[in-house]
Amino acid sequence: MDTTQLLKGVLDLAVLAALRDGDGYGYDILRRLRAAGLDEVGDASVYGTLRRLFAGGFLNTYVVPSDEGPHRKYYGLNAAGHAELQRSGKVWQGFASTMDDLLRERETA
Amino acid sequence: MNSTAQDEITDYVERVRAALADLPEATRAELLEDLPEHLAEIRAEDTVTLTDRLGTPEAYAAELRATAAAFVGGFPDPPKRRFEPLLAARADVMRVLGSADVRVGPLLGYPKASDFLQLLRPAWWVLRGYLAAMALAYFVDGQSTQVGLLPRIGNSTLVALVLLAGCIVVSVAIGRRRFELAGWKRLALYGGTTVLVFFAIGGFFSADSDVRDTGYSDVGYSSGGNPYDYIQDVFVYDNQGRPVPGARLFDQDGQPITIGNAYCTDPDTGEVDHTRSMGYPYCPDAAPFASARPEPTATATPDEATPAPTPTSASPSK
Repeated sequence: MDTTQLLKGVLDLAVLAALRDGDGYGYDILRRLRAAGLDEVGDASVYGTLRRLFAGGFLNTYVVPSDEGPHRKYYGLNAAGHAELQRSGKVWQGFASTMDDLLRERETA
Repeated sequence: MNSTAQDEITDYVERVRAALADLPEATRAELLEDLPEHLAEIRAEDTVTLTDRLGTPEAYAAELRATAAAFVGGFPDPPKRRFEPLLAARADVMRVLGSADVRVGPLLGYPKASDFLQLLRPAWWVLRGYLAAMALAYFVDGQSTQVGLLPRIGNSTLVALVLLAGCIVVSVAIGRRRFELAGWKRLALYGGTTVLVFFAIGGFFSADSDVRDTGYSDVGYSSGGNPYDYIQDVFVYDNQGRPVPGARLFDQDGQPITIGNAYCTDPDTGEVDHTRSMGYPYCPDAAPFASARPEPTATATPDEATPAPTPTSASPSK
């Protein structure tokens, strides 16, 4: 099984979760995801997901000027984003435990 | 950052942009917004080329497009789902409009009616500017004075022209940049436009009724409009206080003045009959001031007039 296929389904949740601990700019969030172990996540996927979550009203955004580099666009969870993270997180946990049970049954069978 | 790196970034961004060329300008601008900054970050910490690190710009564009487009995952989107019946209704309306668009178009000589309407868009911008100026003038000043066709504030035509020009310029500028507006600004534009449309409809019908009403409001069907409304008959007296029978009235153009009610009520029988008098008064019997017997040689003065009401005395036409 290809993890990139699985990732597609949970990328939103992954990005929301990466923002739970604090606001971040695109590359920052990408690094958080990679540090958490999601090595396959693509740069463009993270930016595309951020853009879509923003369009969906789950994120707020602001620009932080920087002296040494380019200005950075920060993203952060708003109330709807936190609610979505909680809701989607529960869905995922339910789904994951169902899969776990299914796999365990197969093993014991 | 050296210039080669900058060139590489610019080149990469341009190729991603080209790969997204089919998207609406606003969507593409949104998707590309973070890209130069991101590429600069990568370039700053990595020595490999951007293509080695990220894949080709075309592949990057495809991935961006795939993740940004629809909700890819299995997680439903609650804020959107709540409006699903509305969205479905909107889709139905759009379908009907779409087929009407294609059918009406050829009648106008265009493939689609919307092709023709798009040509009118700048005209709408100008009209919207005018409406905005009128609305502004109305809310600032209009309640106290009569609203004309120019957005006058304090009855000044100069102010009106300046305000009009300013509003039209702003409206056209907004129209040209409407795709750059996002979020609340776009909503504000739509909301403001809706208010203006209602204002325009109200103003149009008010102006329409004003123009039509002036035709007969002066004649005065309304009570109090015409001070001569109540007149039933006209009695002419000469300088001696004698009633003038069969008097004719003319205006400055020689047109006979027709006024009053040419029917008389007989005081004894109560019967109503058309007058037999050839001029005013129609009903000599109903003279308000009784006067001396109207003899041709009379020298009677009002002082000598008989006070007793003798209504039959002054009716030479009988």
